[in-house]
Amino acid sequence: MLTIQKVTKHYKGSSKGITDISLTIEAGDIYGFIGHNGAGKTTMLKCVAGIHGFEKGEIFIDGISVRENPILCKQKIAYIPDNPDLYEYLTGIQYLNFIADIFAVSARDREGKIKKYADDFEITSALGDLISSYSHGMKQKLAIISALVHEPKLLILDEPFVGLDPKASVMLKEIMRSICENGGAIFFSTHVLDVAERICNKVAIIKEGALVAAGRMDEIVQSGQTLESTFMEVVKNGNTD
Amino acid sequence: MGTQIKLLTKWQLINLFGINVLFHTSDKKARQKALSLSIVGLFVVIVMLIYVGGFSYGFIRLGLGDVLPVYLIAVTSLVIFFFTMFKTGSVIFQKNGYDNISALPLYQGAVVISRFIRMYFENLLFSFAIMLPGIAVYAYFLKPSISFYSIAVIEILFIPLVPLTAATLFGALITAITSRMRHKSLLGAGLSVALVVVIMVGSTSLGSYDEAALNTMIHSMTDFMTQAIGGIYPPAMWMGTAMLQGDFLLCLLCIAGSVLAFLAVIALVSVKFHAICRGLFGTYAKHNYQVGALKQNSALLSLCTREFKRYFASSVYVTNTIIGPVMGVLLSIGILVSGEEKIMEFIPLQTNVAGLIPFLLACVCSMMPPTCSSISLEGKEWWIVKSLPVSTQTILDSKVLMSLLLILPFYTVSEVLLMIALQPGFLETIWLLLIPAIIILFSCVFGMTINLKLPVFTWENEVSVVKQSASALIGGLGGFLLAGVLVVPIILYPEVPADLLKLLICVLLLTATVMMHRSYSRVNLQEL
Repeated sequence: MLTIQKVTKHYKGSSKGITDISLTIEAGDIYGFIGHNGAGKTTMLKCVAGIHGFEKGEIFIDGISVRENPILCKQKIAYIPDNPDLYEYLTGIQYLNFIADIFAVSARDREGKIKKYADDFEITSALGDLISSYSHGMKQKLAIISALVHEPKLLILDEPFVGLDPKASVMLKEIMRSICENGGAIFFSTHVLDVAERICNKVAIIKEGALVAAGRMDEIVQSGQTLESTFMEVVKNGNTD
Repeated sequence: MGTQIKLLTKWQLINLFGINVLFHTSDKKARQKALSLSIVGLFVVIVMLIYVGGFSYGFIRLGLGDVLPVYLIAVTSLVIFFFTMFKTGSVIFQKNGYDNISALPLYQGAVVISRFIRMYFENLLFSFAIMLPGIAVYAYFLKPSISFYSIAVIEILFIPLVPLTAATLFGALITAITSRMRHKSLLGAGLSVALVVVIMVGSTSLGSYDEAALNTMIHSMTDFMTQAIGGIYPPAMWMGTAMLQGDFLLCLLCIAGSVLAFLAVIALVSVKFHAICRGLFGTYAKHNYQVGALKQNSALLSLCTREFKRYFASSVYVTNTIIGPVMGVLLSIGILVSGEEKIMEFIPLQTNVAGLIPFLLACVCSMMPPTCSSISLEGKEWWIVKSLPVSTQTILDSKVLMSLLLILPFYTVSEVLLMIALQPGFLETIWLLLIPAIIILFSCVFGMTINLKLPVFTWENEVSVVKQSASALIGGLGGFLLAGVLVVPIILYPEVPADLLKLLICVLLLTATVMMHRSYSRVNLQEL
């Protein structure tokens, strides 16, 4: 589904970025991506989503290179940032229609999906209002719905549970499982390690732009340990032993 | 309160003209860009100094030395007023950081005054740039007394106060009126544009006199100009008179009046500050939507629709870009009502000026196309289009298309009025239709090209992008200046058939437009 091969990206005039990252996400994976603040999680996710370019390496989505065919790759994915800066001058429904138009979702399909997900997330009544009137959590929900309306194969989320109420968090986890059961995959970053431990089957830990651990959850987290203690150990020592 | 004003003013001024960011950024490219822009800015100031010095010399040669200080003060004040009027609302009542400021133990007046002082310093530059060279030329040739110099120095510092106060009052009034309305941005833009039109039309009628009076006054140009300026802006006459006559008392009275007006407006705005902000930043939410039948549109149409919604959501964006096309319509009405000969009196050229009307229309209609800020205005939401499966060309074409569709109704009305007014022949009709259309198209594509080269995504206030960015300056005036430059060969080479020159101009402009379009379609948006 997603293959990242030795990707390096540094910001101009800064030493920050990511160096030589390689990992593979297969269909059915819920892949957690964890690391301290400024480690490079968002940079990596944005490179996969086609928002940032990168200097070295390659990224393939379903075997298609992000560099050579970015539009085809973007048609298969959906990206939800940590801070949903959406078009505040649009109403919720206008924004959803805009995204659906870009992804050429038929009128009938989008009606069904928007109705379903908006009801699930309980923001249907607010869809006619300007996004500027939305709380952070409502914007987050709207961003999630916009990502789901075109049925992406790979869902990329940056700290998706921040700002979501408990019911919406449960809803999102169910949606993530459903996508994976239908042959899709999830790649998301989070600071909420117990959630990652419960729902992810694979995890990668990044420290100062470099990958220090990556693989199946049961391989990374030793018996008797938690993801949290493993993370603290890895970040301190640099790798899992 | 004084301490608060000092503290808040310090933080307002710390990033004046982006200085703080420049000092602290580690991005070498940003520093180089800032340095280049500073050099360009310095060049513009030098050109302005030379220009002002030049026309001041012209005034003195014509025997109008005694009206020069009055004229300079009037010009400075008008420039400050028009530059500031559309932005005071968004600077005084800025949304960014409002929650943080409101939570602090600060007097409303201190917040308002600190923001006003920031605008004062920004506009002091105009005062220096226009007054200093003019006064220097006056002093060199007319050798005034010592009192002239002392009053001039004092007055230069206080000239921005009245126009700034007036602009703040108008801006605050418009903001206050529209703050409680649903479509506040659109209404604010409409009121601002209407105000500009009223001022422009009003000032042209104020300057008209009956022929007998005009003939009398023409024999005394000094009196004529002083009266004309005094009719439009009396403080310029008072301050200029104080300067010329060395009248310290009059100078002090003018300053006292300016300061009193300023304090009165500040007091009024301060009292209503939070109420206006709450109305402005509050949003209208009905919470009663039900999902009904939805429609599917193409990506280009959807992007273009979004561009229109973005455009009309910002009063600053609308007022700054719609003035040109509106002036095009006013120009056409003027030609229809007064006849082309009357309008052409303002262009004293020994040539067939009627043939230049297409360029004149193009000049005004192509001023400040929305494309010169449309990339920058994506701001924090830029990630959205970058993550979408749509080509760069489609994204950028939607912005150009929006600009063209916006100008189209004004172009159409202007053309219809000019056809009626000028009753052109076949070829004249072709040029009247084609030249403005091609120059408008060029300016929209040029504006886009420049904004791609000079985008600004981090901004506190839309004003800094729409009015004060390099892209707005260069991209916004490209078509305007080009239209002016293109008439030069037609005037300088009357022996060459004008139709041939116009054909060549059209071909060259279209070629340049196509080349720019191809170039911007290959831009990698990831690098922006």
